[in-house]
Amino acid sequence: MKKNNLLISKSLLSMSKRFAIAGALASSTLVSFVQAESLLIMNAEVHTVASQGILSQASVYVEEGKISAVYANGEVPKDIQADSTVDAAGRILTPGFIGTNNILGLVEVGAVSRSRDASDKKADITFDASLAFNPKSTLIPYTRKGGITSNIVMPHGGESLFKGQSFVVNLSGEFDSVIRANDAVIVELGSKRKGSRALTLQKLANALEDAQKAIAKAEKAKDKSKNKEPKRKELPVHALLKGEKLLLAYADRATDILALLKLKEQYQLQIVLVGARDALLVKEEIVAAKVPVMTSAIDNLPNSFDSLHGSLAMVAELEKAGVKVILSPSGESHNINQLRYDAGVAIANGLSNTSALAAVTANVADVFKLNTGRITAGKDANLVLWNNDPFEISTKVDAMWINGKEVSTKSRQDALRDRYTTPSDMPRAYTK
Amino acid sequence: MLAKTTKPKRAIKVLSISVLSIALSACLSQEKQDAKVTINKNPYPSSYQVLPKQDTLLTNATILTGTGERLESADILLVDGKVQQLGTDLSAQGAVVIDMQGKWITPGIIDVHSHLGVYPSPKVESHSDGNEMTSPNTSEVWAEHSIWPQDPGFQAARAGGITSLQILPGSANLFGGRGVTLRNVPSHTMQGMKFADAPYGLKMACGENPKRVYGSRKVLPSTRMGNVAGYRSAWIAATEYKRAWAKYESDYSAGKNPEAPKRDLELDTLMGVLDGEILIHNHCYKAEEMAVMIDLSKEFNYHAGTFHHGIEAYKIADLLAENGNCVAMWPDWWGFKMEAYDMVEENVAIVDAVKNSCAVVHSDSATTIQRLNHEAAKVLYRANENGFALKEEDAIKWITHNAAKSLGVSDKVGSLVSGKNADVVVWNTNPFSVYAKAEQVFIDGAKVYDRFDEKYQAKSDFLLGQAQGNK
Repeated sequence: MKKNNLLISKSLLSMSKRFAIAGALASSTLVSFVQAESLLIMNAEVHTVASQGILSQASVYVEEGKISAVYANGEVPKDIQADSTVDAAGRILTPGFIGTNNILGLVEVGAVSRSRDASDKKADITFDASLAFNPKSTLIPYTRKGGITSNIVMPHGGESLFKGQSFVVNLSGEFDSVIRANDAVIVELGSKRKGSRALTLQKLANALEDAQKAIAKAEKAKDKSKNKEPKRKELPVHALLKGEKLLLAYADRATDILALLKLKEQYQLQIVLVGARDALLVKEEIVAAKVPVMTSAIDNLPNSFDSLHGSLAMVAELEKAGVKVILSPSGESHNINQLRYDAGVAIANGLSNTSALAAVTANVADVFKLNTGRITAGKDANLVLWNNDPFEISTKVDAMWINGKEVSTKSRQDALRDRYTTPSDMPRAYTK
Repeated sequence: MLAKTTKPKRAIKVLSISVLSIALSACLSQEKQDAKVTINKNPYPSSYQVLPKQDTLLTNATILTGTGERLESADILLVDGKVQQLGTDLSAQGAVVIDMQGKWITPGIIDVHSHLGVYPSPKVESHSDGNEMTSPNTSEVWAEHSIWPQDPGFQAARAGGITSLQILPGSANLFGGRGVTLRNVPSHTMQGMKFADAPYGLKMACGENPKRVYGSRKVLPSTRMGNVAGYRSAWIAATEYKRAWAKYESDYSAGKNPEAPKRDLELDTLMGVLDGEILIHNHCYKAEEMAVMIDLSKEFNYHAGTFHHGIEAYKIADLLAENGNCVAMWPDWWGFKMEAYDMVEENVAIVDAVKNSCAVVHSDSATTIQRLNHEAAKVLYRANENGFALKEEDAIKWITHNAAKSLGVSDKVGSLVSGKNADVVVWNTNPFSVYAKAEQVFIDGAKVYDRFDEKYQAKSDFLLGQAQGNK
């Protein structure tokens, strides 16, 4: 990876110690940013993904890891003294993209069982895979190449109806990456190799009904101190019924989608449809239920009898009908950074640029209640500076920040490439 | 027909004519010859017919020829199913003239590694016919006998500009069987899609898959050295078989009445490789394994052909070019197995940079086959960010001309050169843009797809009459 070509404008009055250090490390601009307490990104085309829309010649001021102000049209107050300043030279600045529906950090090599932690036969609704999240996985820097700064990890669970709970991470690669564990409950509906989909739906309905009865009973009890403590397994279901947790429901066939919408209405659940390949058949119902859809833009083939009605235009058509869409990357773990190309394909098939950007930023943040996904004051400073249109294949990330700290997009792949493209008389193993 | 006369036999003939002539005639007089036994090498011939076609002149486009050239505001004339001419201000009597101002034109896209039809959509057990995982050597099976031509994936690939594709068996076996090259036209038989005169491929596999599948059954191979022992044993048997047939041929030609060797379907295929008629397509990820496979091919005197997936090809780019191997690669798939851990995004470009190389971008996927142009684009741009200076006219070769070379059909398809088959894709914009879409696709000069005309949008039997929503 070449050094990025950011321009650092040092403070006019004095050269701080911090910059003296950065200057000494001639080949790296990163050090100064990592240590920076405040950051000013100037002269960017800022895609706020908020009511301000796209601001030209805009500046974003970051303090303590949060966006503290956004200025349009070159109007930066003169008294701002940022620890570091980046001249974006008109380039595009977006919120960091947010990955969803993957097992990043829970697998290093797919076929190496001892590097896999996304599933366990015995996993149930309490399965907290965040405990296994590995921020030092080589997949994390590689994923950052796609401008992804946050991610919703969705484990696969086991034989139980519920597959466990999702968790939220940032892609800093630091040990404090897990932002929120035990977040949304995951359930998988649809066709089964053995048995009937009906029973899955019945089990889900029964679990909700039983929990509702238990809650009602506990509330009616005269002496509440005598109430039995709900079992560990029951608590997440209670949280679903109280609207405190989302239910992420994998479902493709229209009948399963409709069954879920019915449960949503009956129990006032917060549901996200995941996959939803038949969504166009029941578009109006999904719109009416105000249920977001998390899906891939490129999964158009009739892969099963549950998904005969997909198309490349599905995402655009859902969005036009008023569905809040979250674009999931097509890669499940190793190629999550393809997300931006998938968004590009969605645009080529009818989605607007604005909607595509929202589908990988603000929409995810809204659904999962994350303080990111937009460039407005108060949001976490998860930002990506692109050398051009973020969705184009020819574009690359020039710089990115997580909580206001610059992070690198250099990955193990770059080290391997450099080793084998650097001339040497010695065996390659000596090139490091 | 069996292979051409071999050298040793010819030598014997020349030396012995005068000496043996008397003995020979004596022999002839005694021995009545039975009918000669021959092997029909094309028992399932192509029945492909060009779709209704019309001479067509496409004008004012940016044309990538597939041979490294780029023409601006250029015309291309398709006559009688062939590329007749490229240039400016062309005219032709009787041809439909279409102004392609702002559009890009490339050769038809070729995927050298597909499982469409043998692992079709929907992915149901009943149609899972891509890998005969019952023995480490199944050279006797032919992928063409598994193809379900109603796979909706063929249509989706056509909408992505795919005009020819090789359907390969899977990679569980050391020898997976024969692959077949198809024209991507709708047909209700495999033969109706079959690329006439394209050589067969033989799928081989290195590494983790064979040793995992058979090792778990306590059958050789359970190790990589077991893999190589398996290949060598098979080639030894094939060499014997070839010798037996050569002897039969020579004895028969000499007027004797020899007994023909017993037909062996498995060895027929391997002999076809030794005779240079069937091309090797070798699933092989790792540098050290590809190097062994090259030596193996020299040990048994055949060509190691195309390495598929070749995640580590960049580590031995010189060796591959020197030995004349094509390498078919993904731009960035990785990490699903140990042997796919050392991916670099510039792999294709590093292989391509060596003189006499043959770098190919393949899909191995019913999803990405729909956008092989994007797969090539990823390589193009990532490589250029890291010291390469590649252009669109270079990158298009990876999915056209080089792919055709890998399949042994570059004399017919893969480039827009006068006299080649008129396989043409018209793109709305630069095909290496994420927003690129194939608008019109021609195979042998016949329009097989038009994004704006339903008349040219085929639909599989399987999807016909299903509920609305799918095209």
